[in-house]
Amino acid sequence: MTVSFDQLKAGDGIEGPKFAVSRESIRLFCDASLDYNPLHLDDEYMKGNFGKTNFGGIIMHGMNNFGLLTRMLTDWAQPPGAVHRRLETRWLKPVRPGDTIQPTGIIKSKQVTTKSRWVLIDVMVKNQNGEQVAVGEAMVEFPVATAAA
Amino acid sequence: MAQASSARSADFETDFWKDAKTRKVWDEIVPGEPRKTLPYKLTQEAVALFCKAVGETNPLYLDEAAAKAGPYGGLVAPPSIHILLMFACTPADDWMRSPGTVNAGQSWSYNVPARPGDTITLQARALDKFIRRERLFVVHDNVFFNQHGEVICSGRGQTIRPM
Repeated sequence: MTVSFDQLKAGDGIEGPKFAVSRESIRLFCDASLDYNPLHLDDEYMKGNFGKTNFGGIIMHGMNNFGLLTRMLTDWAQPPGAVHRRLETRWLKPVRPGDTIQPTGIIKSKQVTTKSRWVLIDVMVKNQNGEQVAVGEAMVEFPVATAAA
Repeated sequence: MAQASSARSADFETDFWKDAKTRKVWDEIVPGEPRKTLPYKLTQEAVALFCKAVGETNPLYLDEAAAKAGPYGGLVAPPSIHILLMFACTPADDWMRSPGTVNAGQSWSYNVPARPGDTITLQARALDKFIRRERLFVVHDNVFFNQHGEVICSGRGQTIRPM
């Protein structure tokens, strides 16, 4: 559904597609991102401790969450001529092979600036148990020219 | 995996242990000091592989005819392509490849899209480092440019350094 800046209101929701995480999807992300950190490749290494943390096995790249959130935002912004301008995220829980994760967003507020219009969005990624694995904020710009066109 | 070669040059070392000794540890990282970076030519194959990895199906990234008729007048990469660019534009001895580096959060601002065929450069540095709850943090400051000198995106991130 195509949204317009004027119709959008706080509390409106956005949803991206679900993503099935597997050893293969993590390996593919290594090849696509060139991030071959053993956190994502080496089960033996991951049996060890990281400070106070023990992951117990390989974990998905945190930036895979970032990629899924980006996809949700660009797919949402593009039809009305809006532009994804900013994304901030932090990770709350590791994601492991076998998990299914889904990005969502909730419109927080709108802001009109001197030369443009902005929508601020709270974003998150949840796993199959409904636990938040990543949270953050995004800014989507709705250029004024688009509205006039 | 045949596609694996499409994002990286032939000499890209995928064993991050191999050069581990050559990388700076937390103690040696100097906030403010520019990191050594490498220009990277972004190919359509690398964009397509990245799209596959994050489930992107947008024709703006994958279908030349559709992209030509779209808002950018040609194929572009998804904004999140900086995830690839970060490793593509840094050498094997860069400390971001230290095994056990944990990403503790990122924020990125987007200006113009990266396009296949672009030669992309990176200006990067550690901006700060600190210790919190016995963990060693570094704050990253990164800006990617295209060959026209336009900013593609700029980002700030934090990693926890391996001990």
